[in-house]
Amino acid sequence: MYAVETPPLKKEPVPSQPRRANRVRRRTQRDARTAWLLSLPTLLILVALLAYPLYRMIVLSFQNMRLRELITGLTPPWVGLDQYTKALTDGVFWGVVARTAAFTVVSVTISVLVGLGIALLMRRVHAKVRLFMMIAMMFVWALPQLVAAQAFRWLTDSDFGVLNYLIDKIPGVDFANHSWFVNPWEGWAVITTLVVWAGIPFLAISLSAGLTQVPKELLEAATVDGASSWQALRNITLPILKPLLTIVTTLSVIWNFGLFTQNWALRDSHPEPVYQTLATYSYTQAFGQSRYSYGSAISVITVLIMLGVMVFYIRQMFKIGEVD
Amino acid sequence: MARHDEGVVTVGRSRAGTIAANATGIIFGIFMIFPVYWVLNTAFKPDSEVRSFTPSFLPKNPTLDNFRSALGEELFIPSMINGLIITAMAVAAALVVGFLAALAIARFSFYGRKAIILVVLAVQLVPFLALLIPLFLMLQRAQLTNTLPGVALVYLVLLLPYTVWTLRGFISGIPRELDEAAMIDGCTRAQVFWKIILPLTGPGLVATSVYGFIQAWNEFIIINTLNSPQKQNLMAWLLYNQTERGTAWGPLMAGAIITSIPVVVFFLIIQRNIATGLTAGAVKG
Repeated sequence: MYAVETPPLKKEPVPSQPRRANRVRRRTQRDARTAWLLSLPTLLILVALLAYPLYRMIVLSFQNMRLRELITGLTPPWVGLDQYTKALTDGVFWGVVARTAAFTVVSVTISVLVGLGIALLMRRVHAKVRLFMMIAMMFVWALPQLVAAQAFRWLTDSDFGVLNYLIDKIPGVDFANHSWFVNPWEGWAVITTLVVWAGIPFLAISLSAGLTQVPKELLEAATVDGASSWQALRNITLPILKPLLTIVTTLSVIWNFGLFTQNWALRDSHPEPVYQTLATYSYTQAFGQSRYSYGSAISVITVLIMLGVMVFYIRQMFKIGEVD
Repeated sequence: MARHDEGVVTVGRSRAGTIAANATGIIFGIFMIFPVYWVLNTAFKPDSEVRSFTPSFLPKNPTLDNFRSALGEELFIPSMINGLIITAMAVAAALVVGFLAALAIARFSFYGRKAIILVVLAVQLVPFLALLIPLFLMLQRAQLTNTLPGVALVYLVLLLPYTVWTLRGFISGIPRELDEAAMIDGCTRAQVFWKIILPLTGPGLVATSVYGFIQAWNEFIIINTLNSPQKQNLMAWLLYNQTERGTAWGPLMAGAIITSIPVVVFFLIIQRNIATGLTAGAVKG
């Protein structure tokens, strides 16, 4: 933004018009060269370790790379669209896609709604309660994903987990030795709870920062004019919050669609078919079954599915003006 | 704003509503903190209390045995050292390389600048795990699998876009008039960099490297794929340990605490930057 508003060249001392123009042009050229030189190492690294692997991944998805090629170093045979045909005609693959999508929709919806609710709640509670909420959320946010997943694995342990113990205390309910991952609905409920729990701090804290931007006078004026709290929320708070809400929702979609750590750790690094998401499925195909090409094809499809969301995110960033 | 209060003039401030709001807040806080508390609770219990069908909500006989046995695990200390080496290499490299690019996009206006910004923003969204297959094959061909520098190289790419992006924000925050004043007084571009921009970006460099540390320290899938059990970091040790030994919950929770401490401490120090880094500018309204 800065660079657009104040071009760096305007404080040159001004001898005469043509000479000045010449000097400015020379400096602009030199500046451009310096800038590209400064960016060069970053660009080289990104090309070598990001763009090239991306290209390799696409090539790989048109080949058939197995363990034999990995060991011998032979060029894997070209199979055209076979890997894609295989994936797209496979019911298992479509099951994974549907599961990942459904999980994303459900988990993001719950996370954003609860996050927004907590952000609004934090404005109404006593300062000490707010502090307690903040501290609790900070610790959750700081916790490494894998540690959080391990914590939930322990909480839901069938023999000694505290969750079974607490539920079992409810009169008439027998949850002793209850296994949470036999029924996929229950298992996914645990995974979703973990993801929502871990995601709420970011959402609630970001949104509560956003709420401070809503002018108090507007809300008061609305109340004086007889608006209910619901109307004030819908017609004043939410429209002001919308750009931020869009960004955090998009980020949540990107993160949750790539679910790996949580289902991986909760299922002891060997998720059963019903606990596979696109990320774990591609990984298992490649590194578990040595089907490197098939795994790559699944990754390519995953990236393509996500592309729309990513473009939307970047456009939002530009639109809001964070990017100049 | 769950409750709406009919007929109340001030914005929903009825007494019952306030009490309900506070109660909800407290219950929410307890729900959030409970898993963290339970990890701590378990880590200080002797094994007999961990494996009990009636778990106690505080250790009856608090002990450090679990920490001792985690630290005594054959691969725990080596994993910790590996993790530190890899993280240090990746963060240092990302900082040096990223700072130069950040300088370019923050301080120069040139043809292609927007394209570089676009690239930096876009690659942050690439699901990195998707690239693990080709990266694994490339590193294997270069004989860099099962080495620490190989993992550090991958982590460098993981950290670089964010590093460039955050540092750019910090550099943009330094008033350009300072540069210009110095240049009018006869400083060269290089002197402006060494004497003005670098010292003033100090806090930004600290915050960025701390965030980089957290990212690299928390990673376990890449290192788990590339390296043998002898060359893992602590996070991967946590995962590996889980499958190897079934469920030694006490030591596992103790190990998890030791692994988390640096991250949690660092995170709490820089959390403001993380929150604003992800959504900066979106709050302008």
